[in-house]
Amino acid sequence: MTAPHFRKILVANRGEIACRVMRTLAEMGIASVAINHRVEARARHVRMANEAVEITGDTPVAAHLDIDQIVAAARATGADAIHPGYGFLSENARFAEAVAAAGIAFIGPDAATISLMGDKISARNFAEENGVAVAPSVMPTDDLDQFIARAEKIGFPLLIKAAAGGGGKGMSIVRSAADLAEAARIAASEAQRYFGDGRVYAETYVERPRHIEVQVLGDGEGGAIHLFERECSVQRRFQKIIEEAPSANLPEKLREDICASAVRLAAAANYKNAGTVEYILGADGRFFFLEMNTRLQVEHPVTEMITGLDLVRAQIEIAAGKGLPLAQADVTARGHAIECRICAEDPDRDFMPETGQVQYLGVPEEGWLRFESALDQGQKVTADFDPMLAKLVVHGKDRHEAVDRSIAALDGLALLGVKTNIDYLARVLDHGAFRAGELHTGFVSEHKEALASAAIPAATLPQVLAAAALGFREFQDLALGTPEPYAAIGGWRN
Amino acid sequence: MAIRLSLDDKVHHVTILRRHPHLVLVIDGEEHEITRLPGPGDGRGTMSIGGHDVGFARATLGDRQVVRLGGRTFDVSRVDPFSKGGAAGGAQDALRAPMPGAVVTVHRQPGDRVVRGEPLVTIESMKLQTALPAPRDGVVAGILRAEGETFEKDEVIATLEPETEDA
Amino acid sequence: MRKIQSMISTSSADFRRYETHNRRLLAEFRERQEAARHARPQRDLERLSKQGKMRPRERIEKLLDPGTPFLELSSLAANMAYDGDSPSASSIVGIGVVSGREVVIRADDPTVKGGAWYPLTAKKIVRALDIAMENRLPVIHLCDSAGGFLQLQSEVFPDKYMAGRIFRNQSILSKLGVKQLSLVFGHCTAGGAYIPGLSDYSVIVRGTGAVFLGGPPLVKAATGEEVTVEELGGADMHTSVSGTADYPAANEEEAIHIGREIVAQWDRPRKWDCQQEAPEDPAYDPEELYGIIPDDIKKQFDMREVIARIVDGSRFHEYQPAYGTTLICGFANIWGYKVGILANNGVLFNDSSLKGGHFIELCNQNNTPLVFLQNITGYMIGREYERRGITKDGAKMIMAQSCSRVPKFTVMCNGSFGAGNYGMCGRAFDGRFLFTWPNHQIGVMGGDQAANTLAEVKVNQMKRNGGTVDRDEVDRLWEETRKAYHEQLSAYYSTSELWDDGIIDPVDTRNALGIAISASLNAPLSEPGYGVFRF
Repeated sequence: MTAPHFRKILVANRGEIACRVMRTLAEMGIASVAINHRVEARARHVRMANEAVEITGDTPVAAHLDIDQIVAAARATGADAIHPGYGFLSENARFAEAVAAAGIAFIGPDAATISLMGDKISARNFAEENGVAVAPSVMPTDDLDQFIARAEKIGFPLLIKAAAGGGGKGMSIVRSAADLAEAARIAASEAQRYFGDGRVYAETYVERPRHIEVQVLGDGEGGAIHLFERECSVQRRFQKIIEEAPSANLPEKLREDICASAVRLAAAANYKNAGTVEYILGADGRFFFLEMNTRLQVEHPVTEMITGLDLVRAQIEIAAGKGLPLAQADVTARGHAIECRICAEDPDRDFMPETGQVQYLGVPEEGWLRFESALDQGQKVTADFDPMLAKLVVHGKDRHEAVDRSIAALDGLALLGVKTNIDYLARVLDHGAFRAGELHTGFVSEHKEALASAAIPAATLPQVLAAAALGFREFQDLALGTPEPYAAIGGWRN
Repeated sequence: MAIRLSLDDKVHHVTILRRHPHLVLVIDGEEHEITRLPGPGDGRGTMSIGGHDVGFARATLGDRQVVRLGGRTFDVSRVDPFSKGGAAGGAQDALRAPMPGAVVTVHRQPGDRVVRGEPLVTIESMKLQTALPAPRDGVVAGILRAEGETFEKDEVIATLEPETEDA
Repeated sequence: MRKIQSMISTSSADFRRYETHNRRLLAEFRERQEAARHARPQRDLERLSKQGKMRPRERIEKLLDPGTPFLELSSLAANMAYDGDSPSASSIVGIGVVSGREVVIRADDPTVKGGAWYPLTAKKIVRALDIAMENRLPVIHLCDSAGGFLQLQSEVFPDKYMAGRIFRNQSILSKLGVKQLSLVFGHCTAGGAYIPGLSDYSVIVRGTGAVFLGGPPLVKAATGEEVTVEELGGADMHTSVSGTADYPAANEEEAIHIGREIVAQWDRPRKWDCQQEAPEDPAYDPEELYGIIPDDIKKQFDMREVIARIVDGSRFHEYQPAYGTTLICGFANIWGYKVGILANNGVLFNDSSLKGGHFIELCNQNNTPLVFLQNITGYMIGREYERRGITKDGAKMIMAQSCSRVPKFTVMCNGSFGAGNYGMCGRAFDGRFLFTWPNHQIGVMGGDQAANTLAEVKVNQMKRNGGTVDRDEVDRLWEETRKAYHEQLSAYYSTSELWDDGIIDPVDTRNALGIAISASLNAPLSEPGYGVFRF
């Protein structure tokens, strides 16, 4: 084991990713500092950490976005680095800058790189300049009418999205000139509302596109390697729910091209630390640069599973100046990995978020699966944070086995008390088109009917009712609390 | 004596036929023999029902049981056939004055449909205003005191239409 | 314990003849029982359903835990009284399980004269409450009665064991900490009003349930006041104004539901720990009992054959198998409960009486409940036996039995004549339960013996008075006596008068005893002790 440069790292996040980072910190002998809002004082990431600092805010989310408090917490606890996780401040250049200014190492790229990649337009321009294919597009402008005129020129379908945003907010597909103006205006207003920046951006929309992304590591000095790609095409509400590595049915040549493209971009940017270059891949084999995420991805475990690497450890070592952990030639992939995002939501009601209490949590245990979560039995699931409760990551010797194992693991996963998409995920995995690898980002809506929950099988119904009835104390007493010899005599009448 | 369970908006009946040598439940009119009983409480369990070993996980949330079985999660809730009544059972038809006083406001009129807990009249007594709630869901039959009128303790202030049987 | 080796041949002519005979007796019993339970004038049933009321047996079925037994007691009470106008003495009494607790259920029967109480109704209710007291069993009253049957008030009202005893028993039950719940489905008028009034908990059905000392007609007659049933004693008045009843219910179903919830709050009984094994069915088929009991009360049979068809695994540890052989004594298990059995295998002699008394003492010392299986013509009489002290030996057995601290149960398997009835825990000896088989006969002596005795006395009298004996008169007396005896000796007369807790199908004996023993264990054992034995 390489001697760690850092002795204490503050994890500026919560939930499963905070726990996941702390696990590696523990393995590396590095002390961990958690931050938490009052409502999560007893959360698992707080319990896991060596120490915790309470942060305040009007809402729990606001607290987690408060740069000053978090930097102060790192200072107060003597942390010499901050790991931002994903989401929250992980791609906030101001945060990276504030951390650096405080003399604390930021585990991620520097503020300039975050800024470069954080803006879709500058990122796109940078990619284009460095020979990375981009979709024909219209640059954002303050003049909406001009924007509409230019967009019309590149043809349809068009994808319109917020220049400053991500995560599907303010995104829409326009299929004809008639709808363009209205869609642009809505996108602009949503962009304004969510991101405080009303500029919108349009590009050629690829039909039945696949979302392929490449995990890269850069040393900050032009050295970069890729850890193969991930396929994240199964999405709902523009958010990924199932990711896998490697991608299904990807010709080897195409894989090499995409990965090489990503390495080119990272190298050109003198990218430091872990990053992900996202592409959209058309059925015709053309792929376009989508964006670069300058942080650890939610779905990083599938890459870890096929490469055997610990990406958090790699991040820390790179941040500590130890350079890349291995050479490209030493990166190998073994088998297939699939991640399912377990969310508190109702797939039968358009994936609306659900709340409740986790009354029982039963997780199957297998050498080939990772259950990444910060859930505790008895925990309340509120609307305070993202509805993602956990990630179920499974490895198999090939895609077929990974799918089967994922379905088995989902079947064996019991997360009771709050409605989740567990059953839905199993139906997706078991769908013929998924098994055949016929994926695209419209998969969920294309197979909507087939994926809807089916009627309860006749043989299952009495089993469920019996199990439920016997779960009620009163009925249990009635069934089992009858004194002898009455119970044995039964319904006798004289 | 059966327990009524609701699953996906359908009501099912479960009762006990026998306990020996094995528990036999009658579920929606059909007998099911449980040769191995699940343990009590939340968590994973196994039972043998109709000759099949069935593994499941179960959690209790008040009047709900969440059951995970066969890779699916089911939300089963108990139907209380008498939930219309008050906690003490049997809702009353008459709303009686809890103390002597005068009517300040009449909120609902005869013929109005009301739900349990909804104020029917507000009274004032001992310088204290109190809203008298409907004792159960129903239809107002009569308001027997107008605004400003006084009454004695236990006098009937309002009445509800008698309940009709609904199966 | 060894399994009893049955000597019965089920293919023998006797077996088949006896079986035919006893199955006929059983069919007659079931027929009478069916009529007592269900035969009612259509008019009464229609009135009931118009009121939205369930029949009393439906109420009981809904009250009981599903899939559990109900041991009905005295189903043919009053079957030979009042020209049959009061089937089951207008009330239903039994032991069952409600919300996991064993309880006595006592229900008025509004399908008979509005549920009015006949003299034997009062006797049956008093007996039900005696059972509750002796065994510390909670009581659930299902009230729906017009009150005392006024035409027979002198037999219902004034004496010690008449209606007043019901309320006295209710009060004593409460003092003993035995819970009572009343579900008021119909009227509780006059004395009947005290049943909910003296219960710890009461539920009353809105619209049909009412409790008052005097109903509207009586009030009008007495004070001129005109008042409706609801105002006078309805559910809302009693649960919100008078506090006489506790819970209002919208209908009978809800009343039962609330009642079950109330019982579910009661503490579970702490029974004394009678020695128990895992229960086991008898090795011999109990249905063979029909072929074992002879077709004539005078025919002897081996009571071991009966024991073999009642006890667990047909296993029996016989005590003193070679001594006093006309009384079989020994240990066995019934539904797992260890019991000491005393069973008649002939007339009681000095040795059998002493053996019986000794065995009873052993059981008392060992906390073993006693089961008496009666088929007794009495203690042996005659000079030789009096000289050997048959009376004082019989007295020892009676003393030991009377002073027993362990619960006692009696089954009238066949005849019960003379003082043998006493020694073998007849009705007067406070056995917890006494069940009767349909073939049973009871009396101070048999019909023929009584006729012979009276005829003998008559002849002697005639001889003293004039010397000539009028043979025809003597024959007439003999015939009348025999006939009168025959009717009053029958099990139906016995059960009509509540000299027992009901006729049962012999095959049901095991279940009836199992429930009876279980119930008896609720009452703590009293201190041991006997009176003076005459040695």
